[in-house]
Amino acid sequence: MKKQIKILIVDDFSTMRRIIKNLLRDLGFNNTFEADDGNTALPLLKNGDYDFVVTDWNMPGMQGIDLLKEIRKDPALCHIPVLMVTAEAKREQIIEAAKSGVNGYIIKPFTAATLKEKLEKIFERIQ
Amino acid sequence: MTEQQDALISLADAKELVRLLEQDNIAEANKIITDIHNVSTDVLFDKVGTLTRQLHDSLEEFQLDTRLESLANEEFPDARQRLNYVIEMTDKAANRTMDAVEACLPLVDSFTDRIQQVSPGWKNLMTRDLQLGQFKELCRFIDDFLQVSVIDADILRQYLTEILMAQDFQDLTGQMIRRVINLVQEVEVKLVEMLTMFSSTAALKNSDCDSVESLTGIEAEGPIINASERIDVVDGQDGVDDLLSSLGF
Repeated sequence: MKKQIKILIVDDFSTMRRIIKNLLRDLGFNNTFEADDGNTALPLLKNGDYDFVVTDWNMPGMQGIDLLKEIRKDPALCHIPVLMVTAEAKREQIIEAAKSGVNGYIIKPFTAATLKEKLEKIFERIQ
Repeated sequence: MTEQQDALISLADAKELVRLLEQDNIAEANKIITDIHNVSTDVLFDKVGTLTRQLHDSLEEFQLDTRLESLANEEFPDARQRLNYVIEMTDKAANRTMDAVEACLPLVDSFTDRIQQVSPGWKNLMTRDLQLGQFKELCRFIDDFLQVSVIDADILRQYLTEILMAQDFQDLTGQMIRRVINLVQEVEVKLVEMLTMFSSTAALKNSDCDSVESLTGIEAEGPIINASERIDVVDGQDGVDDLLSSLGF
């Protein structure tokens, strides 16, 4: 797992962004950036050679599921792994995310161990 | 500006009335007065009729508005449940944080104690005022100190992560409170509608809702309070993992 990869954390709650940022730093990932919804995340992704996206689902403006679809639609971005970290727990939502090409799905509230496990799994698969 | 008042009797009618009274034609004079009276009661009856019809229509409309019914029967109890859940979550987070802090304190105390224990010997070592026996004892103590410190530091780090993770309540309760705010806003709009419907003079402004609809048509619901009672949601991370692996993930 390359620790210097550039990660974008997308969540409308700044406390959650901080938590994820701290957990990622604990795991050795220091190159993290933040956005508060899909609308602010998308331009950052288009201009910023990001390697990984961690996103919430339920956000004002553009929701996480729509951000995921936009990323998969864009030839320049479609390769970026997307990990969803959300409180959304309906089966149809998880299926929708899977169909839209999500790489991992974590339900809030989550543990540091879960985040580590899902990240490792994603990196294992793409290597 | 004073409002111009309509006379209850026209000048022509009044002259006619005076003429009939002067002629002692009481029957005809009374008829004029009764006619005038009838005209005004007809107008009154018409007005009451119109108002009654409006009231009836408005009440019908409210009965037909199923949104009100679902607000009262489902969403208000649901909002109450959500707010109770917020209290529960904040309570849990506060206790989780305080538990972790309380668990950290003895570690820090023991760290301070050990430093105080090692300090005199260390000072003697620095001033080359130490016997061989004391030196050996100091070395053993420091060796032990280092080993314990590595373990304690790791435990401290775990508690710090625990404190960090306990703050996730802010996001989850925030999402719930937002839903309740949207509900309150909707009720506000309904109340304003009701007020404008029953008072034509009230100049009331509608406040607008700023709910965001997803392009996908799946409405985001936020944290689920009663996951175990619902079949359309997964129960925690294991549920997600099972569902995804059943989809070939």
